[in-house]
Amino acid sequence: MSVSASTLRGGPPPSHPPTPEDILATANALRWEIGADFHEQLMEDIYANAARIASRAVTRPTDKPRFDLERSIDRIVTHRIWGFPIMVLLFMLVFWLTIEGANYPSEFLSSVLLGTVYPWLKAVSGQIGVPWWLDGLLIDGMYLATAWVVSVMLPPMAIFFPLFTLLEDLGYLPRLAFNLDNIFKRSGAHGRQALSMMMGFGCNAAGVISTRIIDSPRERLIAIITNNFALCNGRWPTQILIASIFIGALAPAYLAGLVSALAVVGIALLGVLLTFLVSAFLSRTWLRGEVSTFSLELPPYRPPRILQTLYTSLIDRTIFVLWRAVVFAAPAGAVIWLIANVHLGGVTIAEHIIHFLDPVGVLIGLNGVILLAYVVAIPANEIVIPTVLMLTVLVLGVNNVGAGAGVMFELDSAAATKELLVAGGWTLLTAVNLMLFSLIHNPCSTTIFTIYKETGSRKWTAVAALLPLGLGFAVTFFVAQVWRLLAGA
Amino acid sequence: MYDPLLALLIGLAVLAVAAWLLWPQKGLLHRWQRARQYSARVMQEDALKHIHRAERGGYRATVQSVAGDLQITVDDAARLLAEMEQAGLISRTDGDIHLTAEGRESALHIIRAHRLWERYLADETGFAEEEWHRQAEQLEHTLLPTEADALSARLGNPTHDPHGDPIPTAEGKLVAHGGVPILALEEGMSARVVHLEDEPEVVYAQLVAEGIAPGQRVQLLEKTPQRVRFWCDGNEHVLAPALAANISVVPLLPSQAPEPPQPGESLADLKIGEEGEVVRISRACRGSERRRLMDLGILPGARIRPVFSSPAGDPVAYLVRDTLIALRSEQAKMIGVRRIPVPEEQPV
Repeated sequence: MSVSASTLRGGPPPSHPPTPEDILATANALRWEIGADFHEQLMEDIYANAARIASRAVTRPTDKPRFDLERSIDRIVTHRIWGFPIMVLLFMLVFWLTIEGANYPSEFLSSVLLGTVYPWLKAVSGQIGVPWWLDGLLIDGMYLATAWVVSVMLPPMAIFFPLFTLLEDLGYLPRLAFNLDNIFKRSGAHGRQALSMMMGFGCNAAGVISTRIIDSPRERLIAIITNNFALCNGRWPTQILIASIFIGALAPAYLAGLVSALAVVGIALLGVLLTFLVSAFLSRTWLRGEVSTFSLELPPYRPPRILQTLYTSLIDRTIFVLWRAVVFAAPAGAVIWLIANVHLGGVTIAEHIIHFLDPVGVLIGLNGVILLAYVVAIPANEIVIPTVLMLTVLVLGVNNVGAGAGVMFELDSAAATKELLVAGGWTLLTAVNLMLFSLIHNPCSTTIFTIYKETGSRKWTAVAALLPLGLGFAVTFFVAQVWRLLAGA
Repeated sequence: MYDPLLALLIGLAVLAVAAWLLWPQKGLLHRWQRARQYSARVMQEDALKHIHRAERGGYRATVQSVAGDLQITVDDAARLLAEMEQAGLISRTDGDIHLTAEGRESALHIIRAHRLWERYLADETGFAEEEWHRQAEQLEHTLLPTEADALSARLGNPTHDPHGDPIPTAEGKLVAHGGVPILALEEGMSARVVHLEDEPEVVYAQLVAEGIAPGQRVQLLEKTPQRVRFWCDGNEHVLAPALAANISVVPLLPSQAPEPPQPGESLADLKIGEEGEVVRISRACRGSERRRLMDLGILPGARIRPVFSSPAGDPVAYLVRDTLIALRSEQAKMIGVRRIPVPEEQPV
């Protein structure tokens, strides 16, 4: 600033008042003299001024307390040895509370929505003489899909999100990001991705929204695109069911539970590994040119405000995600009912598509039914298994199982489910590949829509949807070929 | 049933071909797109730049030098120059090539576009410094003059590109950076870096690796035919004279002399519990990264103290202006500090 001032003062006294053109010309000339960093000098001055005012106006306690609680907690939760065990224990606790706690409300909702309301709706529509197709489309299709999604999705989210928000409120989560940053840095990501990933274990759509806490554009995109590799709440039941009926069955009975649990954890860990690998790939290739900055504020610890936490996590996360899921589930229910009930040339549309998809499905160690189920169940992973069961019954033409064409169902016993699936041509390879494909495929439509909302970019939305899908096809394909080679030898 | 081995091999082959075609930056698709961009117009524009550089540098542009610069055959270069002469961009008098007024205007526009793009790449993207020049070489050909004005406005009408080259104004005025090679300084003299030559790329990459950037203060310590030793931005550098010749500086008057060379300590050198005062943020830290640090109040004069580190030792939590901020080691190295020997209990 001093340069410009002295130049102005040092010039010859003006003989006439300067015209606007003169002023502009002088300003233009001076612009080249003040240097590129005058913005910074300005900022320094502002801060220096603010600091001066603050030091005059603010009094502080002169001596520090001998025991600083905050720093002591910080030293424990970020400790070289204790930091990670504390983290693992806390998250095991959160997951245990979520899974255990969700059981009862889930059963209750399911018994109300599917066991009571559904027959009642059917009875009412029967009495007032609704045509069968309208009844099927609205009640068997749209209502059932929506009810299914709500009863499976709502309880875990209603427990997981408040617990997560409590940890956030407490100030622990920033420390967690701080602890894990070094690992994420190696794959070009931000420590806070640990948080969005954990949120993704609850729901990928919520995980994608939670990437807002990552303030660096490149790292945020990485977190959004890889969030799908966090095994979400909608996919855990599929994994657990398939693992227990196909993989647990391989082990002696007393080990079955442990083996199937390990298989599911293995899949979840594979997802974490993929998160790192894909993050590293993205940060070194497509996202190389995006802006990357790092800063992580570690706010003071606060006692959590429990009521407010409950309220905001219910409104902001649970209801929000649920609403989007419902919006997408209802039309999907209609589609599922339609493809199973509309006949073309004496055969349902579903069967046509299954025949068409079967060669591809078998090639990658799955089958046409599974592929079709993944296409129509794109709104929510929760309805994949019911759809698979319904379509299997449809293809096999079994009459005594299930609830009719286009009506999703689940069987009460695992043994009966396995029997039906084996009849549908399932092998151990199908089960393994379904577990892999369930982890590695396109995100559900709710998540895709959320990604679009968050990135505002069709390109990145397409990458986020197609990259895992392509990866899923590649992984299942190679697993299937190697498996068959080894099994055939 | 089909043969799984065959399927496996076909699958691997498909994967290999897909990688070969689509690999970012190196794949066939990317190369093809780049080759297509290299049209006749692009060659003309590159030739204009070359002739302009020659005119300013005081050497002669010839058919051979154009061919060499554009990496085309002499015949192609001759054809290209004939076309340009016909288009009224250049004039030739017995072998000497000159820009016409129209040609100079075009050349300045291309240079303006190039430098604006470099500024953009430096400030608004995460590309590494070594890549700015190459990317700008491609992008410069895609910008219309009105778009260049818009880009300039968006960047806050910068005066210089990140290498210190002045950006031509929209009216086509080009102010020289006015620097002299660092070799012209006397031992002991202080100066300010105004420009780093970004060609050849290898040399530039080496200067970047040394952490030298326009705006930094330097002091020449020793000058021999074998080496040049100077102090810059808190560190001592030793370079071969051929390398150092690519650094241009403006000497400082004794009255403007910078603070005496201090032991170059960065925030990364402070141990837990020690305290320092920020003296500078390195010039090599730029764009959003720099703005972010300043937004957090990490500015010269601020007191900063590492409090605890994460289990892996990186990042470290620093207390600055009563707030705990975690920074990674690469960032801490960018922040020069002066150690405060005895921690005082006075507020900042």
